[in-house]
Amino acid sequence: MTMVSSSNRMPSSHPLAELIYRLEEGGALLPDSPDNLLEVVGILKSYGHVLDAYWQNLIYIADHQFLELFPFFKYFNGEVSLGKLLRHWWHDRINYEFAEYCMKAMLYHGGGGLDAYLDTPEFAQQAQAAIAAKLKGNFLIAGIHRVFPDFLPEQVRQFCYYSALGQFWRVMSKMFLELSDRYDQGEIRTIPEVVQHIKQGLVEAADKPITYTVMIHGQAFDLLPAKAGLTFLMDTAVPYVEAVFFRSFPFMGTVSYNAQAQQIAAEPERFTYGALYADPLPVGGAGIPPTLLMQDMTHFLPDYLHDFYRKSLRGESDVRVQICVSFQKSMFCVTSAAILGLMPHPLDTEDPTKRAQNRQYLEGWMNRLLESRLPNVQLCRV
Amino acid sequence: MLSFLIGLPILSAVAIAVLPKPMNGDNGRAIALLTMLIALIWSVLLGFKFDVGLTTLQFEENLSWLERLGLNYRLGLDGLALPLVVLNSLLTWIAIYSTDPEVTRPRLYYILILLLNAGVVGAFLAHNLLLFFLFYELELIPLYFLIAIWGGARRGYAATKFLIYTALSGILILVGFLGLVFLSGANSFEYDVTLAQTLPVSAQLILLSILLVAFGIKIPLVPFHTWLPDAHVEASTPVSVLLAGVLLKLGTYGLLRFGLGLFPEAWAIAARYLATWAVVSVLYGAFTAIAQKDMKKMVAYSSIAHMGYILLAAAAATPLSTLGTVFQMVSHGLISALLFLLVGVVYRKTGTRDIDVLRGLLNPERGLPLIGSLMIVGVMASAGIPGMMGFISEFMVFCGSFSVFPVQTLLCMVGTGLTAVYLLLLVNRSFFGRLPEQFAELPLVEWRDRIPSLILTLLIILWGLQPGWLAHWSETTLTALLVGQGELATPALIAPIDASTRSPAAL
Repeated sequence: MTMVSSSNRMPSSHPLAELIYRLEEGGALLPDSPDNLLEVVGILKSYGHVLDAYWQNLIYIADHQFLELFPFFKYFNGEVSLGKLLRHWWHDRINYEFAEYCMKAMLYHGGGGLDAYLDTPEFAQQAQAAIAAKLKGNFLIAGIHRVFPDFLPEQVRQFCYYSALGQFWRVMSKMFLELSDRYDQGEIRTIPEVVQHIKQGLVEAADKPITYTVMIHGQAFDLLPAKAGLTFLMDTAVPYVEAVFFRSFPFMGTVSYNAQAQQIAAEPERFTYGALYADPLPVGGAGIPPTLLMQDMTHFLPDYLHDFYRKSLRGESDVRVQICVSFQKSMFCVTSAAILGLMPHPLDTEDPTKRAQNRQYLEGWMNRLLESRLPNVQLCRV
Repeated sequence: MLSFLIGLPILSAVAIAVLPKPMNGDNGRAIALLTMLIALIWSVLLGFKFDVGLTTLQFEENLSWLERLGLNYRLGLDGLALPLVVLNSLLTWIAIYSTDPEVTRPRLYYILILLLNAGVVGAFLAHNLLLFFLFYELELIPLYFLIAIWGGARRGYAATKFLIYTALSGILILVGFLGLVFLSGANSFEYDVTLAQTLPVSAQLILLSILLVAFGIKIPLVPFHTWLPDAHVEASTPVSVLLAGVLLKLGTYGLLRFGLGLFPEAWAIAARYLATWAVVSVLYGAFTAIAQKDMKKMVAYSSIAHMGYILLAAAAATPLSTLGTVFQMVSHGLISALLFLLVGVVYRKTGTRDIDVLRGLLNPERGLPLIGSLMIVGVMASAGIPGMMGFISEFMVFCGSFSVFPVQTLLCMVGTGLTAVYLLLLVNRSFFGRLPEQFAELPLVEWRDRIPSLILTLLIILWGLQPGWLAHWSETTLTALLVGQGELATPALIAPIDASTRSPAAL
């Protein structure tokens, strides 16, 4: 391990010590290079467009498909036409299913104030009221609800996650598109500047309230009221990073496993199947969520990134894998921003105690990233 | 008309040889491709003009050559040869197309391929025993050089082994033919003349045994097979395609035409032993294939097993089983050519054929997904999945043979099950699972690599769904072949003809 001599930093014996030093010096988890910058900004532009479609659909489902028994047209955002249906069947569409996978990852792994609020009596009361309003005159489902009283409230919790994730992505989408605009204007020239842009965006939106009100027969039900005090950073961003970047699920097709042989951890907090751990090589295989996202991003690639992919060994034939590699790099930038944004003390503090706490905090993150694709993205190849 | 099929490739070979360099430097490939395309169209046209109702030779050509030797240039086409002639033109075109355009010494290479084609088509068309022998020998020389010059690391060994085995096969054929003519007192090597001979059964048996060993080497049947896996492993992909697709068929063709055709009484006596021999060949080939780690060797051993079915069907000699032999010849020609082409692409892209090293090649973005999918189709066809040609041919072979040799047929059917075992092992190990890092940067597969395999796959499915399009060419000839010998054959041979004939009119 080489030491950087100029500073008076404490040595670290962590296997990822080099990355800890880099973060302490204001760097990012991803090495700064012109290719990395091009890939990250380009892919975040495309991702921004995809997220824009995703959040609109999530909000549409939360607001307009609430407890619909047969939500046939939930991906149509209210515009049902024969042409759109044919294009949907022809698969000329956005894979909104991916957004739902992320929503379910958040619902499943929980965490943060949103998860806690969904178990409070206030929420239960509002949820029951909304269910009763929705089921008015629907004796069949009302009867089933009596027999299985926990089923519909759980569905309502899921709709809250639809809405919360939609609100989170609305902010992220705008942030990524602004990043791309700033890059195009020559304001973003390095990977640390990308991280800084994202961190700034997260900090600015940190206290943005997360609320959800559903209208049923003209009556409003405050499922996530403002008084619950849910906010963007701690109640959606942090749980999202935890659920989607770190834990997620072991999708068949991306991970081969034998659950009976205890190859999958019994505790969800030990899951490491998230975006930072995902293997890009199986991408393109049918029926796995990463393929859906990478496929969506193929539609919005900026020209410079498209050219970059075309020049690779297999040209466009492995574009989804290449997108996944770039996307993973960009997600390490987002993670860098989250790590830096949540630092207990400023990076430039001179207080040795605070610096030790910062170091301890960073080592905690690095422990979790030991098994991730972090070492791979350092090499700038798959 | 038939001489055109022999003369055209020879003329093109001469043209490639004598044209000045600027004219043919890179044009050798184009000339060879065009030649074989014309030959293919010509042979298909012959197929359309072929009168399926006739039992006699068609498009006959007869030129006296060395009459004192009984050697005449006599060509003719019947339902047994026609499918093989078309197959030969098709696979030669495919072999040339799938040749690396950057092949070293291109002039010599394309000349040899064209001469090989001429030799094979001549042997299928010859209706004079000596003429057949000449073409049979002619084809060895280009093939020897094709393996010896463009082969793998042990090409010298493989080519020499091939030459020794098949030259011996040629000598035995000559011995058999000479013996037949001398013993019967005939003064001609004409096929028709020798067909009319009435030799004692003991003499027939001796001559048949000689021909069985001769053609058994070519087919190849266990224990004369050892040259084949070596030749396949060392030969380049296009040569393997020709070797498996067409050249092995010379052995089975010879067995039917000269073994069953000329010595029906002896054949009837030997039939049960031949069927048992077929079982040994099928099971040995299949079990040995299971043990292989090299994809090409596995396909080579599967060839030995699949060629064994032809011997079983020929031994049973019912109308349906003889039709099965033709189907199995064509089906094995197409399927093994397909498998060798695909293995060739895998080898070229990954640098290995070891199924313990290869993995995950079906990866949709970074692997060889289309090649892998075609491989699965090829494997299914080879294992006899309905809807593909492998099923029809094996079904005909087994259906036709079961009434005569039930035990042997059942044992051969075990071989079909084993086909599924080894080919699924191949597919499962090489194509499924995660692509290893060492293969994460495989070069792109071009359409040039895919087109030949796609053509073969389409034909395998087409003739699998519409076997009648192939059957109507051969049915009359084959029934006549059996009926012709019916007067001489023992009741054991006649009975199945009556029992399972498909063309009552022909009887």
